[in-house]
Amino acid sequence: MSDKQIGREIGQALGANLTRRSLFALGGAAAVTGALAACGSNTGREPAATGGGASGGSGVTLNQWYHQYGEAGTQQAVEKYAAAYKDATVKVSWKPGDYDQSTAASLLTDAGPDVFEYGNGPTIDMIKGGQVVDLTDLIGDTKSDFNPSILERMTYQGKTYAVPQVVDMQLLVYRKSMLDKAGIQPPQTIDELIAAAKKLTQGNVKGLFLGNDGGAGLMGGPMLWSAGLDYLTKDNQFGFDDPRAATALGKLREMWDAKVLLLGAPKDWFDASALTSGLTAMQFTGLWTFPDIKKGLGDDFGVLPWPALDSSGKASVPVGAYGSCVSAKSKDVEAAKKFVKWLWIDQTQDQLDFATSYGFHIPSRTSLISQASTLKSGQAADAAKLATDVGHAQSPILWTPKCATAFGDAMNRIVKEGADPAGEIAKVKAVADPELKRVLA
Amino acid sequence: MAIVRSKRQSRVTGWARYSALVVAALLFLIPFYLLIRSAFMREQDLGSPDFHWLPPVWETSNLTGLFDNPAIPMARSLLNSGLIAVTQTVGVLVISGLAGYGLARIPYRWSNAVFYTITATLLIPAAVTFVPSFVLVSTLGWISTLRGLIIPGLFQALATFLFRQFFLGFPKEIEEAAFIDGLGYWGTFWKIVVPNSMGFVAAIGTITFIGSWNAFLWPLVIGRDQESWTVQIALSTFLTAQSVQVSQLFMAALVAIVPLLLMFLFLQRWIVEGVERTGIAGD
Amino acid sequence: MTPTKFVGVGNYLDMLSDPAFRSSLVTFLAFAVFIVPTTFVISLGAALLVARTRVMQSFFRSVFFLPTACSYVVASLIWKMSIFSGIRSGLANGVLGWFGVDSIPWLSLADPPWYWLVIVTARLWLQVGFYMILFLAGIQRISPTLYEAAAIDGAEGWKVFRHITLPQLRATSTAVLLLLLINAFQAFDEFYNILSTFGTYPPYARPPLVYLYYTALGSGQDFGHGSAGAVILTLIIAIVAVVQGRILRLGDRGE
Repeated sequence: MSDKQIGREIGQALGANLTRRSLFALGGAAAVTGALAACGSNTGREPAATGGGASGGSGVTLNQWYHQYGEAGTQQAVEKYAAAYKDATVKVSWKPGDYDQSTAASLLTDAGPDVFEYGNGPTIDMIKGGQVVDLTDLIGDTKSDFNPSILERMTYQGKTYAVPQVVDMQLLVYRKSMLDKAGIQPPQTIDELIAAAKKLTQGNVKGLFLGNDGGAGLMGGPMLWSAGLDYLTKDNQFGFDDPRAATALGKLREMWDAKVLLLGAPKDWFDASALTSGLTAMQFTGLWTFPDIKKGLGDDFGVLPWPALDSSGKASVPVGAYGSCVSAKSKDVEAAKKFVKWLWIDQTQDQLDFATSYGFHIPSRTSLISQASTLKSGQAADAAKLATDVGHAQSPILWTPKCATAFGDAMNRIVKEGADPAGEIAKVKAVADPELKRVLA
Repeated sequence: MAIVRSKRQSRVTGWARYSALVVAALLFLIPFYLLIRSAFMREQDLGSPDFHWLPPVWETSNLTGLFDNPAIPMARSLLNSGLIAVTQTVGVLVISGLAGYGLARIPYRWSNAVFYTITATLLIPAAVTFVPSFVLVSTLGWISTLRGLIIPGLFQALATFLFRQFFLGFPKEIEEAAFIDGLGYWGTFWKIVVPNSMGFVAAIGTITFIGSWNAFLWPLVIGRDQESWTVQIALSTFLTAQSVQVSQLFMAALVAIVPLLLMFLFLQRWIVEGVERTGIAGD
Repeated sequence: MTPTKFVGVGNYLDMLSDPAFRSSLVTFLAFAVFIVPTTFVISLGAALLVARTRVMQSFFRSVFFLPTACSYVVASLIWKMSIFSGIRSGLANGVLGWFGVDSIPWLSLADPPWYWLVIVTARLWLQVGFYMILFLAGIQRISPTLYEAAAIDGAEGWKVFRHITLPQLRATSTAVLLLLLINAFQAFDEFYNILSTFGTYPPYARPPLVYLYYTALGSGQDFGHGSAGAVILTLIIAIVAVVQGRILRLGDRGE
């Protein structure tokens, strides 16, 4: 008996009358289902059934999902864009919290979205599992106008599966006055950064804020790049089985041990408040916080890339973009694609508004960057220049969520527990090698 | 001599006992105090480099801001929590009450087997089986619906067990008089047994209501959609995602527990009495 | 979501050999070994103190009982953001500051594992009151004549507690221990709310339900293994409950 049948029976039993017997049957059925479900194959991932693109026109309702942006007004903005769309009713869902996981999970069910954003485009598993739709034809001629490295990140085997919405970047922000007072020049290497953080740590003010986990979650990539390495090599092999990687990751532990890192701040790295309320002198954060920093500190801040480990490494700023994707389980894939094209390709004014009116982002269309007045002067202009000069895509598409989890766990052990970096890297490699083999097959 | 020593000793232990009680009571009250204080603090004072016993500035706009903030579905989640808690409480009282009475009084071939089955499931908390339950409920298409949130919690083995124990101790003579007057089991239950058990019903009702209002894992699993969030899920989401002002989050938490604390203080006597009467704790 | 392939007991074997699942069982064990006796002792102590108090008895009882009405989510918020925040604006670090001690980032450190202090104190605050009420009910059922007889024999203090109160509370104690153990098995709310941030959970302090939550409802959507884990847990609880019942009953016969 499948659990679907059992479910139907229970439904009828409950609908008919709440007799004691049927309720007891419910308990029994739950137990049976449990045992059955435990014997089922792992995920029951079925090849996604493509929705029948029959109807179209005004009768269609599309569900569009966003993660919760922290900046005030963003939600109203996306609702406004959606309301202006004529060819379908678009229902915007604003999803705070565990967005990546819950969205990935819901793509497998019928309760998922039609159109959704996903960090740096869909995962390789979503693409290979046929859960998302090929959007190459939507982009068409505009391809050359998109930031190339971002678009490439959303492309697999020549097909593009997401339309980049806006480019986000992370960078090092420092309080000018605090550095001046301590007589410190903006640091250019990791060792200079550590020395500066030590000098700036005084009383209840810490030198540097890399997130409440000491940078374990955030700084893995930037540390590899600062050593001149990357997650994967050019030919898609494991990229940081190298003593320099161990040295670089060990530097985070050095900062942790020196007690110069701010830990346990009320709001994490993605919010400006640790910097503006004077808990830290330097913070790694996102360009999107600039309006808040400006409000709190005026002109008393400067920007830097994450510095190079040494002369043979590279400074960098991570850049990434939420990409708009279409679920293969959508009831009307064509209508969903049409809406994505309308909003994220045709409506350039909405795209500009979304990128610049709330938090600060960089438009993903290069032709729009020159129109973004917010990025023309001051620290935001410096930041935009960093993104162009030393911007580095966050992680490659073949770096699967499983690899990311293994790397995150290793970073946690290196930074928080002082585990041996070389040994931890070997553990990540043991997970990543078979994963790479799987996705490259 | 012995008496004198023991008197002095009892005075000393009396003082020690009071000091211990007062210190412990303060420790137990501090979290409530911090909740209230933080709900009226400005955002920048909560993240400031110093600890404040009192808010430097009393920020009452947190309350209005909370209900005006479109990012926090406060009114909706309070409504959901209220609906779920009320229906589950009524449902549990009616279903478990009837089941408990039936098991205690109605001779029936399988009644022992049924009772032992219920007792066995007592030991297996519902939370542990949340994965298979989720599979079941999602097969019914009840994800993100009030049905999915309410119906699985309508029958509770513990409440049934407690009702049975309580009704076993209900004076049989009264019921027999009712039977002589021509009332069946149904009439006796509603006209005689229930009106004379209101204290116990209130105790089970309060415990169920609190449990339902404070439930977390099941609403987290089922309430995938913002419209189906309970107030606990709303609080948890904003706590773990840090996407709203912390001061507003404290205000939201305060709003979420005040009705419950008032109800609890008011009905506490019944719970205590219920616990004493049922012998949940043994006998 | 319908099972597509019958894999027999494969998922059960996978879960039993999964080091993360096994370490979650160890986490539960460590947690239970601490929280069960600690809650037991504190609630019994509170009940004894309150029972002997004549002045303001109902006030003290209410104060200890009040947190029962609070949810784990609200308690986690207070504990995480207000008491154990990593900076001076948190109560714990504020107090340390008066003594000139450096701030401790309670929830960021994995070594020493201060997060246990945060989790354990939150749970104690929430559940001590309820068990205190159970003990109070038990204490009030003890016949005063037993104490009078003891007083005539000259017994007092610890002796009375050891030879009268404790044996008379045997039934209550059994119930409390079992309830505490079952509650510890269900530990999820405070772990999830205190330790997870932005959808990620650290690779330590994962009790079984937290691990199953991320297995079944995380990006993997692995219901097969999740359900197998749930069934294994259920069996463990059933065995523990039966064994505990047997041990305490054996103890009865021994008396």
